[in-house]
Amino acid sequence: MTRDERHIYSRISRRGFMGATASATLAALAGREPALARAMQTPKPTADAVIVLWMAGGMAQTETFDPKRYTPFAPGVNIRDVLSTFPQIDTAVDHIKFTKGLEQIGSVIDRGTVIRTFNAADLGFILHSRHQYHWHTGYIPPQPMAMPHIGAVVSRTLGPKNPDVPAFIAIGQTVEGAGEIGTLKAFHTGGFLGTEHGPFLIIDPQDAASAVRPPKGLTDARFKTRRQLLEKLLAQEPVHTYGSDFQRESLVRSLDAADRLLNSPSAKAFDLSLEPKKTFDVYNTGRFGQGCLLARRLVEAGARYVEVTSEYIPFVYWDTHEHGHDRAEAMKKVIDAPIAQLIRDLEERGLLDRTLVVLASEFGRDAMTEGKVGKEVKDQAINIPDVMAEPRHYGMHRHFTAAGSILMFGGGIKKGFVYGKTAEERPCTTIENPVIIEDLHATMYHALGIAPDTSYVVERRPVYVTRDGKGKAIRELFA
Amino acid sequence: VQKPRVAVIGLAGCLWGATILTVTSAGPSPAQSPSPLIDFQKQVQPILAESCLECHSQDKRKGGLSLATYADILEGGRSGAIVRPGNSAGSLILDRVTGGVEPQMPKDELPLDDPQIALIRLWIDQGARATPTSAPAPPPWEAPLALSAPPVPALRWATWKDPIDRFVADHLATRKRPEPVTVSDARFARRAYLDLWGLLPTPEQVQGFVADRNPSKREALVATLLADNDKYAQHWMSFWNDLLRNEDGVSYFSETAGRKAITDWLFASLVSNMPYDQFVRTLLNPAAPTDPDGFLIGVNWRGETSAAVTPWMQAGQNTAQIFLGVNLKCNACHDSFVSKWKLKDAYALAAYFSPEPKLRLYRCDVAQDVYAEPGFLFPELDRSPVSDALKDRKATAAAIFTDPRNGRLARTVVNRLWHRLLGHGIVTNPDEMDGKPWSPALLDWLASDLAAHNYDLKHTIRTILTSRAYRMPAVSRRGEAPARGYVFDGPEVRRLTAEQFGDAIGAITGEWSLRPTPRPPGTPPPAPGASDPLTVGLYAREWRVASSNLSRALGRPIRDQVISSRGQQATTPQALELVNGELLTRWLARGAQRMIGELPPEPRSLFNKTVAGRNASSSKFDIDISNASRLWLIVDDFGSNAPERVLPMWADAELVGPSGAQPLSSLTPIESSNLRGGVRPASLGSSVEPVRITAPSRLVFDISGKGFTRFRGTMALENSRSEIGSTLNPQVRFLVFDAEPNLARLLPPAPDVPLPAPPVITNAADVVDQVFRYLLGRAPSVSERSLAERAIADAARPGKVSAEGLSDLLWAVLMKPEFQLIY
Repeated sequence: MTRDERHIYSRISRRGFMGATASATLAALAGREPALARAMQTPKPTADAVIVLWMAGGMAQTETFDPKRYTPFAPGVNIRDVLSTFPQIDTAVDHIKFTKGLEQIGSVIDRGTVIRTFNAADLGFILHSRHQYHWHTGYIPPQPMAMPHIGAVVSRTLGPKNPDVPAFIAIGQTVEGAGEIGTLKAFHTGGFLGTEHGPFLIIDPQDAASAVRPPKGLTDARFKTRRQLLEKLLAQEPVHTYGSDFQRESLVRSLDAADRLLNSPSAKAFDLSLEPKKTFDVYNTGRFGQGCLLARRLVEAGARYVEVTSEYIPFVYWDTHEHGHDRAEAMKKVIDAPIAQLIRDLEERGLLDRTLVVLASEFGRDAMTEGKVGKEVKDQAINIPDVMAEPRHYGMHRHFTAAGSILMFGGGIKKGFVYGKTAEERPCTTIENPVIIEDLHATMYHALGIAPDTSYVVERRPVYVTRDGKGKAIRELFA
Repeated sequence: VQKPRVAVIGLAGCLWGATILTVTSAGPSPAQSPSPLIDFQKQVQPILAESCLECHSQDKRKGGLSLATYADILEGGRSGAIVRPGNSAGSLILDRVTGGVEPQMPKDELPLDDPQIALIRLWIDQGARATPTSAPAPPPWEAPLALSAPPVPALRWATWKDPIDRFVADHLATRKRPEPVTVSDARFARRAYLDLWGLLPTPEQVQGFVADRNPSKREALVATLLADNDKYAQHWMSFWNDLLRNEDGVSYFSETAGRKAITDWLFASLVSNMPYDQFVRTLLNPAAPTDPDGFLIGVNWRGETSAAVTPWMQAGQNTAQIFLGVNLKCNACHDSFVSKWKLKDAYALAAYFSPEPKLRLYRCDVAQDVYAEPGFLFPELDRSPVSDALKDRKATAAAIFTDPRNGRLARTVVNRLWHRLLGHGIVTNPDEMDGKPWSPALLDWLASDLAAHNYDLKHTIRTILTSRAYRMPAVSRRGEAPARGYVFDGPEVRRLTAEQFGDAIGAITGEWSLRPTPRPPGTPPPAPGASDPLTVGLYAREWRVASSNLSRALGRPIRDQVISSRGQQATTPQALELVNGELLTRWLARGAQRMIGELPPEPRSLFNKTVAGRNASSSKFDIDISNASRLWLIVDDFGSNAPERVLPMWADAELVGPSGAQPLSSLTPIESSNLRGGVRPASLGSSVEPVRITAPSRLVFDISGKGFTRFRGTMALENSRSEIGSTLNPQVRFLVFDAEPNLARLLPPAPDVPLPAPPVITNAADVVDQVFRYLLGRAPSVSERSLAERAIADAARPGKVSAEGLSDLLWAVLMKPEFQLIY
């Protein structure tokens, strides 16, 4: 995809605002949404909004939030002896250490929790998008029904916080395209909950404002005239003649809903150019950093679920198959300042207490293990020798499912807390408190006041928001 | 609502849970019965609870039967209904408890005592009421397996003569409905064209049809439209793609069972109108290399898979759902809580399609010490494969599914067609064919008629389209259909599908969606040193192109699951895409320009080459430029990981003329963008200084009068080998033009279009006429005309049509419910 196309896609990819009014009137009138079966006990919410910071492509935990013994680069070193390629650093909390390059996030971890033991499913031969699907829906594909993204579940279950801001906004991921990128469509969806709850996709944060402005090539004036022309033509239409009143009404009403959202004062939240330059610059480490800023603005304006991704592109960003050290260093430069600033800004605005921020990735990485512990399969795409010869060979180049790091801030979560423990020696696997996706989701839902056995009735049977309704919120994480 | 049950954690989500019950009781009915009415809750339920629930609870469901609730009891089990209200003698439950039918129930326990049996008998004979104040329960509906040949009812209304008409007339008249009117010719034509070709009729076609004096012109139109095999197939592809989960170009990278499109076979089978039984046989038992083996392979992701969704389990679930209207999704993981189907039923069906003939059962992904062998859902039709070989098992499945005694095959497909064409099935849910049809006789007549006509789907479509029922005025659809008491009062108003919407734009403007192709079909791959194809992409009908935000917003599904009907509702995301989406805006902008003949030209390059990938390598070129007076040299990045770090260059570039070769770097471009400096010598080790650029770059050289005949050199990247790998993954294209290129379309599509391009219109009145007549099937009113003409007038060019104005008019008309609905 060219930059131009990317640019264009970022504009055409707006899937949907769902204002409360719009959602209530349109979807309810249509009467086609699966019924909600409330759980027996609904937890008391400690958060009203969620920001997920998605480290797409498999973030190496030993290069970030779970430091192990540091081994500097030297030709001739066996990659088996390399656990971390960064030295360990202190953070704001005595007992929490990160790796070099995460000083800023380290300085705010006294507001949050580190989970070191996310255990991704063992699915054999790794496909990133399949694990991402699992992380984002709680179900492993293929599935006999279209499973909704967790953001769609939040949107459907809680509705929007502010009717003028889409409840579920996804920032930074292209889903159009051939190959594995195209498979991301499978979970960037409202699934059986319907398109009303699908993600409002913003590819390029700097371009987000265009999502709420007339499309490129159309001036404001023309946009208005065009709309007036439609109104006049509708007024000319012989009443009760064409189509049924109900369907006619719902079509017209949906256009009105779109208009209202485009013209809402909240639409300003999308426009990063309204942010003071000083703040913008702090966030501006590129698209991800800008995405963090946009997420903050949207949550301030009343968004319910916002996800910002570092973007998944095979072999790029966190998907390190070579140059792992350099790539991790570059990625840390991208995420460190904006994430720390996001936490500080939310705190300063009094929003952190009621906003749950979650940083996560589909799995971790290792230099030797591929997938689950005990498996060592060589990379099929890029050959890395067992003994390092050049910097290209230095880093975590394989996928690791037995431990991965998660950060959580705000929304009732403990401060300066560590959950889970991994071994100090390879394979650095989980030795205490494994966290599986069902329980992570249950924890996030718990914070939002959604019981893990909340279900929707689809094809006459209940489908639970955590698999089988069995997710268990990790109570130790809550303050 | 019951509490959810505990499930074993397995690999995949097994959607294990509680039955959702709604026990509805009719209004009060005064007790007329001589004996006091039995109270089900107080008198019958306790007997069943004590003696039967151990096996017939909602989770055990022995024999597919639950006796846990009133609704369960009336629903029955594998052997069908157990209670026939008002008829205890015909009720299986009594045969079982008395031992009249073996085995006697409760099995291996003491039988019920006589007063208990008498109580149940009396309760049934009193009408099996939910409560003493309820009305008697309606007779149970049991979907039969075999087809009946119902007699066609007597004539009710003089012109309602054909069988469908008589069934519908009967249905309406018994419900005290007057004889319906039928829709106008123009409206009929719009429906018929959209349903058979997926296209709007042109103004000329509507005009011709309305003017036609032939009394049987509607039948003639349907016949004509059906006779165009290609257009019929182009439209019905979407319907079958949704059902069969067929999507081009989508892979989930399974290492063992990659997704395989069946597009070519499906299209050919629609073109040839393959008999439906043969169609199903071929899908179930693909043998020839061109046969659709992708259907049984299904949707598989790389890595390990839950036992419930192996390719053969998917095949079992999908064939049952698509061809028989049976939902096996629950019981692919555990015995169903909402139907009579068991885990072993799903496995037995899958065993026709599995590599091994014996399948080990997994309950919620836990292996059981139980194995399934091939077995059909309806044991009456079961037969043993000739051998255990997969090909024999598939052949057997194909034979059973299409066995003439299997009435569900025809019933399910005619119901799907009716649902598609009239907006509401004869059985409401086309995936649940155990549901009660609003006219069992009509359903069976249609199904028998299909079977009697060699499973000719076009025959059934023709029969439906020429019926009075199809000509009735459309009725409003308001949310979910009522579960009971549906009356067919006419076709439901439908939305245009995403494909019909897009094709309408293509047809009126001549601007269609683009289907990218590496090279046009039938053209050989480029020879070494030759240019890449000069055109990329073909204009295509909407079904052919990949889904877009626009088409997905308009309801085109992601085809990972079987889709039987698309959402009809207007949603906010959809409206945003229509109001604010750039794709539609650009489409209409170009379409309007094309309609009035003002689309800018899109010259083809003389030569172009892609330098791309983790192993991107350079390309030599040597091209004839003897007719060129100017050269445009373009370099475009179409997706490098870090475009700013990619260093393209025109290396060794020379122009050859009468006085020998002259380096390109020695000429001064008359226009240039993104030239870059360079200090390193060109990596190719040549003496000729390269022209270095960064993409996107556009260089224009005036070479008129210089007599150059050849332009040669190397399209290359200056980056080091180690950078080119996964770090940059460069995607760069070099192009040479001898005419000013259209930068928006460096590689224009091939000029062919799916339908003959409409003539260019430049007169405002004609343009307005065309827009209304084509998109709405009618002339504009005086006031509409004046509004529209004002909207498209070009302020800067009096008397001319403004392309911008026209695209706005097109947009406004496309937004009208009058356009978006089929009514």
